[in-house]
This record gives sequence, C-alpha cells and structure tokens, in this order.
Amino acid sequence: MRNAFYRATRLRSVTLVAAIALVAGLNVLPARAQNVVKIGEIEAQTGALNTYGWMSAQGMRMAVDEINKAGGFEVAGKKYKLQLINPDTQGNPQQALIHLKQMLEQDHVKYVFGPFLTNVYKGIEPYATGFDGKFLLMGGATAIHFDLGKPHHGYLMRTWNWDAGPSGFGSLMVANLKKRGAKRVAMLMQNDAFGHVARDIYAPLFKTAGIAFDEEWFEPGTTDFSSVLAKIAAWKPDYVFPGYTDAVLYDIVRQATEIGLTKFWLVRGSLGPGLKNKDALDDYIIYIPKYFEEAQNSEPKVKKFIADYKAFYKTDFPYDQAPLCSSSCYDHVYMLVDAMKKAGTVDDVAKVKQTLMSTIYHGLWNIRYDQTGEEVFNFDVVDIKKGGKIEVTHINPK
Amino acid sequence: MKSSLLWLPLFAVPLVLHNDVVLTILVFTFILGILAVSFNLIFGYTGQLSLFHAAAFGIGAYATELAMAHLGVSFWIGMMIAVLVVLTISLLVGTICFRFKLKEFYFAIVTFAFSEMARLVILNWNSFTNGSLGINLTAKPSIWLPGGAIAIEGTRIWYYLSLVVLILTVTVCARVVHSWMGRCFAAIRLNDELADTLGIDVFRYKLISFLIGNAGAAVAGAFYAFYLGYIEPAYLSIDQSLAIVAMVLLGGRDTVAGPVIGALVLTALPHVINFSAETRILVYGLILVFTILVMPKGITGAIARLARAV
Amino acid sequence: MLQLVVGQLLNGVIIGTLYGIVALGVTLTFGITGIVNFALGAFMAIGAYTGWYLTDVVGIAYPVAVPLAVLVAALFGLLADQTLFRFTRNNLINGLIVSIGLISVIQSVLLMVWTTTPKNMHYVLPGVINLDLFIVPKMKGVVFLVLLVVILATYAALTRTWAGRAAYAYAQAPEAAKLMGVRTELLQTGVVVYSTALAGLGGALYASLYSLEVSMGASYILKGVEAAILAGIGSVMGSLVGGIVLGVTEAIGSIFFPQAYRDAYGLVFLVLILLFRPSGLFVRGR
Repeated sequence: MRNAFYRATRLRSVTLVAAIALVAGLNVLPARAQNVVKIGEIEAQTGALNTYGWMSAQGMRMAVDEINKAGGFEVAGKKYKLQLINPDTQGNPQQALIHLKQMLEQDHVKYVFGPFLTNVYKGIEPYATGFDGKFLLMGGATAIHFDLGKPHHGYLMRTWNWDAGPSGFGSLMVANLKKRGAKRVAMLMQNDAFGHVARDIYAPLFKTAGIAFDEEWFEPGTTDFSSVLAKIAAWKPDYVFPGYTDAVLYDIVRQATEIGLTKFWLVRGSLGPGLKNKDALDDYIIYIPKYFEEAQNSEPKVKKFIADYKAFYKTDFPYDQAPLCSSSCYDHVYMLVDAMKKAGTVDDVAKVKQTLMSTIYHGLWNIRYDQTGEEVFNFDVVDIKKGGKIEVTHINPK
Repeated sequence: MKSSLLWLPLFAVPLVLHNDVVLTILVFTFILGILAVSFNLIFGYTGQLSLFHAAAFGIGAYATELAMAHLGVSFWIGMMIAVLVVLTISLLVGTICFRFKLKEFYFAIVTFAFSEMARLVILNWNSFTNGSLGINLTAKPSIWLPGGAIAIEGTRIWYYLSLVVLILTVTVCARVVHSWMGRCFAAIRLNDELADTLGIDVFRYKLISFLIGNAGAAVAGAFYAFYLGYIEPAYLSIDQSLAIVAMVLLGGRDTVAGPVIGALVLTALPHVINFSAETRILVYGLILVFTILVMPKGITGAIARLARAV
Repeated sequence: MLQLVVGQLLNGVIIGTLYGIVALGVTLTFGITGIVNFALGAFMAIGAYTGWYLTDVVGIAYPVAVPLAVLVAALFGLLADQTLFRFTRNNLINGLIVSIGLISVIQSVLLMVWTTTPKNMHYVLPGVINLDLFIVPKMKGVVFLVLLVVILATYAALTRTWAGRAAYAYAQAPEAAKLMGVRTELLQTGVVVYSTALAGLGGALYASLYSLEVSMGASYILKGVEAAILAGIGSVMGSLVGGIVLGVTEAIGSIFFPQAYRDAYGLVFLVLILLFRPSGLFVRGR
C-alpha cells in the first residue's frame, strides 16, 4: 500500500516534469534561414468572433505567397523573402498573449498585424507596451484608437477607419441622413464594447445635427427582436440604426419590416440582409469598405485579386467577407514591403514607421495614415432601395 | 507530506529553462491551478457541483482592481477586500442554496443562475465596471522583503509568486481535507441525508466548503487579472465555469493537487497542438464526456492505477 | 401602449411554445431517465441546420424537410443514448456533465461542416396577418399551431395509449413497472429519442423564422429547463404553460425594462421557484 503510494507520487512528479519538458521542447525552434523578414499576425481565425480575423489571414497568406513567388523583395541591395507567422488566437486574450510572447521573444518578429478584437488587444497591450520601439503592432481593434499617440505607444498603428475625428466619416453620414429629411433615429445595438463606442460617437453627432436619438441595447446572441422593435416602432423613428453583424441584421431587418419599420441607416455588414428583404424595405444604407460585386467590373486590381483568390484557395470568392480585407490584410503586407524598400531598412522600426506614415499606398484601397497613426481609406456607401435598386457612392476621404 | 517533495523540481525550472513562453504558460497553469484546486474542494470533496466558481473568480478580479482604483490601496489589501466581497456574496448564495436544501442538479442550476446574474450586472454597470470594454490594469503589485520592495514584474517573479501561492492553496486545502472538516465533507459527498442523520450539520459544512472554495477562486482571480493585465465580463461566463470543471475532471477529483495537471493540459494544449477553435471545442466536449464515462478518476487516478498494477 | 402590450402578449405566447417544446423534452427525459439532457439545445441546432440544409441547399419542399430533420435529430439522439446516456441513468451530475460535453461535440461538428457564417432560410411563408391591434407574421402563427398540436398530441398519447400509461407507471414506480412487464430500457431509450425529436422539430421550425448560428440552442435549453422547473418536472401540459408564462414575461418585460435584461427574468423565476416551491406550480408538492 505504501509502496504504491510512493510509486504513484513519483509517477505523478515524473508526469508533471515530462509534461513541462514536452511543452518546452515543442517551443524550441530550429535555426532561422538568412535574409528572411518575419511578419506576425495575431488574429482570431476560428471561433465565434472570427469574421475579421479569418479574412485578414486569408489575404495575408496570399500576399506573402505572391511576394515570395515573385522572388522576394530588395532592400538596400539585399534580397529578402517574407515569413508569415500567424497563430490562431481563437479570440482568447490569454492565448494571444502567449502567442505574442513567442513572436517577439523567440521569433524576433518586428512587424505584427492584428488584432481586430478589442478584448484580445487589451489583453496583449500591457505586454506590448514593454516592447515599444522594438516592433510595430498594426491592428484594427476599436480600443487601439484610444491608445494611439499616448506615451510609450509609438509601436501602435490602427488599420481601420474611424467614424469620428477630422477624417472620420461619421459626421458625413449624419449630414447625409439629415439631407434625406430624417428627424428621428432609433439605434438598436449589441450591448458590447463596439456598440458602446458607436453610441458614444453618434449620440453627440445626432444632437448637433438636431436629430432625435433613441437607444436600445440587446445581448449578442438574441434572435427575436419583436418586443424591442415594437417598442421602437411606437417611438416612430424615421430610420433604424441597427447592430453591426450579418447574423443580427438578417433577423432585425426581417422582423422590423414585418411591423412597418422600413428604413435602415449605417448598416455595417454585407448587402445580404438588405437584398433578402428588398421588397419590404424602403432604404437600406450600408457603410462598406468596398462593394466588391461592382468593383470587380470597374477596378482591374480588384478583378485580379478575386481571380488570384479563387486560384489560391480553390474555392468561391467570399464577397460578403471580402470587404474585411481592408484591415491588416493583403494591401498592408505590400504597403509594409514598399515602406521597407523606401526606408532602405528591414530592422529600423522607427524609420519604417515614419515611411509608412508619410506614404499613400494604392492597392485594392487607397491607404494612408493620419498624424496619430490611424488609417484613412476610401470606402463605399451602398444604398439599397425598395425593389433592390442599388446606388453606390464612393467616398475618398481627404 | 512526502508528496511535497513533488514541488521542489518546479522551483528549479526557471533556473534551467530560460524560455519565457514556457514559463508564461506555467504561470497561467499555476494561477488556474489555484482556481481548479479550490473548486475541487467544493466539487470533488464535498460533492457539490457549483457553477458559481467563475463568478467568484471574476468578482475577485474586479473587486481587487476596483478597490485599488477607488480606495487607493495596494494589491494585497485589494485582494483581501476582494476575498471579503466574494465571501459575503458566497455566504448569501450559499445560505440560500443550502438552507433550502437544494440538491445536486438544482444546486448546479441555481448557482449558474446567480453566476449569470452577476455577469449581467458587471456587464451592464458601465459606470463602475466599464462593462464589456473591460478594465486594463496598469498598477503592478509589489512585495515587501527585508531588502526593500520588489515590483512583481517579469515572468520569473510571477512564476515564483504564483507557484508559492499555489502551494499555499494546496497545503490549506490538504489540511482542511485531512481534518475533521474534511471527513464531514466526505460524508456529505457520499450521502448527505445519511450524514444528516449521523448528526453532521450538513448545512454548515456545505457552506464552509463553498466559502473556502470561492475564497480560493477570488485569490486566483486577483492574480490572474494582474498577470494578464486585463479584466472583462467573460471571466464570469459559463464557459469559464465549464473549463474549470473540465480541468478538475481531467486532472482527477480524488487528490488535492490533481486538478493542477488538468490546468496544465488545458492551458498548454492550444500551444502544443495547433488546432482550430472548432477542434478545441470538440476536445473540451470529449474530455467532459470521456472522463465521466471512462476515466472518472482523471489523469492522477489513471496514474495511480498504473502504479498499483506495475 | 395597449397595442404594444397585447401584441407582445401574443408574441410571448408564440415564443413560449418554442420554450414549451424544449421544456417537454426536458420533463420527459427527467421523469423517465432521471437526468436532465442539457444537450437538447444542441439537438435543436441539429434540427435547425438540417432543416435549412434540406430546404435551401438540397431543395426539398419545407413541409417535407421538417419531418426529415426531425428524423435526423432523433437518429443522433439514439446514437447519443446508446453511447452516452445509457451509462448515466438516474445520475444527475454525471448526466449533466456528459450532456454538456455532448453540446460541445455537436457544436464543433456543426461548425466544421457549416462554419460560423450565419444561415438564413428563404422565406417559406412571408407576410403578416394584420389585425388592428397587432401584427403576427404568418410563419410564426404556423409554428405556433404545429408546436401546440404536437404538445397536445404528446399529452394525449401519454394518457391514452398503453405505451404512454406505461411511461407514467414507470415514472412513478420503476420497479413495479418493470415487474408488470414494462420494457424499461426500451422505454428509456424511446423517451430520450422522442425528446431529441421534439427538440429537432423545434429547431426545424425555428429555422423558418430566424437566422441560424451554431450556439442557437443555448438559450433555449436554459429557458426550457426554467420552464420545466417552473411548471414542475413531470407535468406535460405544465411544460407548455411554463413556456408560455416565461415567453410572455420576457416579451412584456422587454417593453418596460431594457431588452438587455431579457434573459434575467427566467433566471429570477428559476431561483424563486426552486426556493419557495421546488415541485413547481402545477405538480403537487413532495
């Protein structure tokens, strides 16, 4: 009996040490090849919140492959290839932190793209700040906006438009809404971080524009909006300002049109929900980084991208997810490589950032960064009218 | 405790292994180990499936930070305040549940209900908790030693700190389990009605195990929050509670320290095997199903069986 | 305001039947096999995705796709019963943990096959019925009627057929029932399969009304359990009434209180009932 106990204890301690050794062993990496620039990507590629991260990863992989297949790129007389390190954070801050540590401390990566998720960003931010000056973190998370320009955050850049601010489109959109004669707008938004930020941006804008504003919140995961929509309908809004993911939009638009709410503004999602209900609605105004269905006919770069995507992944082109390639995606890899070439260095992070901040890149999008490091890119506003007639407005922020 | 020798090699690890990534995984393992071991006191030893543990974890985290931010106290005082807060809430929840003699399944459901209510409160109380945006913690805890104060920064210090706290937790739980209190817990686990007829104050001991367990969760919450540097309402989610159950089932319910192995596996797994979130969900599910049906004593139990057979 | 309240009353009743069908599954499973099958929400998802797939991708007419989806859910229910639940009869904690593990397994498989992109069935029966006081979408009305009929039929089957009465007998006195010749294993398996079929039906009908996500069943199983406990485990008609009470409370509550608290009403009910009247509203106390 005693022997078995000691044996068990010893076996247990052996197991623990062996397990640790296994974990350690699998983290020891082989020697790196010469003349390789490693870029990292830290996104949620799978899991419930993976929409943005997945598309970014798709675009990034393509860009890296294309650049390497073309023979790499030349900086200060030397030829380099790219190596993409893109683990899946699964939307979990703890996992993302460990992935970032691996990237910065073991792989010595200097250029990291992502994250798009606010909670992942906030989980890695304290650690990342300790590496200020040693790498660049270029992500689309909403929370990144608030840290841009703060001391010790020079490593940070944001790869997405901001609704407010001098180049923001929020006031543009509200002005446009006012021109249509809207006097009352009811917001029905997810009760989460982005929803609250959206409210904080738009409530004052509506107030200044003299438009009455009502706010209703719902838990992510809700599918039956009948009661809150009935409540909104009783308030008699001109437009409904709905939540921001397709899953939610399909249900909101369907249920809203059933009770007579037919105008929707500043939808962030695909055209799908609008088209599905096209005969029931009057106005469906979408903010979309690019209306790919139209762009593939009018922009050669887009047409090429779609063809390359289909060939690379051997699958249909995801039109409804493609607009998300506007953040930390295909264009950004090329933009980074161009910046390294122009700056004449792959290691001097400060110089590369300076170059990034002072160039305008013309890829699928026209991309530049404002003085705080926030991206400004061109986007489309698509208006679906009753019956499915589509009006597209292209907006190029100055 | 001859099994305390087991812990010695762990102190040597940072001296031998300079891999920060592995050490980070171990720090998370130790902190989550505190969480799992304290849960096992309630679940493995007293036989009560509480789904409130994640709430204790999350409330402990939030309370520590909010105490530090609003009352200006140090991390350690903040953590003590958090433990008091969690004890008070647990007293309320536990009294309600045990006074009304909620059995097994109903107890699980009601603790889940309270946990969800706590999460909804934290999620919606934007002015106080910042809601879904969460709170970034910038203050670093420090330790006062004879030589002066050391800020607890850097993986190595966190490693030793979390290891020491884990060992303390395990020691405390082991003391409790091997005491007369522990024998009462065991009796309740086996058959609480019978225990009652034997004169054991079932209400009292269920409540005590619930309080001690949740206090442990609060401590884990405080450390976890400060190590990661970010708190969000998801700390209190049902997924977190279920992950804790999975850790305990996997590691083994029968020993005090068994759950730590479960914590190690579940923390390290995504970094050892690169699989998708979908596969991870599948693995979690299979762990829950498998351990209950095939390996009810978890990994430590399987090892013990192996030791006996050898 | 009256219009709002009355309209939501009706809406609550309709949603309540969806809760009720899940609650019925919960109550039957508990009564006969002694565990609560938390995975019923995941079986609802199986029914929903199968229904959507057959209707929109394969192109089968919806009224045919629904029974097929129910069959698929029931088959998976049989599989689950034979591999898992058979070993956890009357063990509430093990059954709970195993069914929760099963949820993850089912969800991950659905994710791997159909990904996180939400699915939307084409509108099978668009349009609304517009009475002066309220508006009811036609499809919602159909769903309500179908579920109502099924629940009533279940009640009739339980009280009037031999199999049904055997089930009642077993629920009350397992040993005696066995001695009287009731094939208990068959009965238990049958009930598990039937309850997953009910959940599958709820899911297939759900698919005609809402967009589908893999985690759709989570709130329904919770509400189903709440409704079952509210009414009293073991009462068939009670599960319908419990579901409706819950649905109506949520709908009316959302008018006066923030929608964000919608899920809390059920939780509060749950706690209050378990504390003060644990046997439920419609079952005589122990």
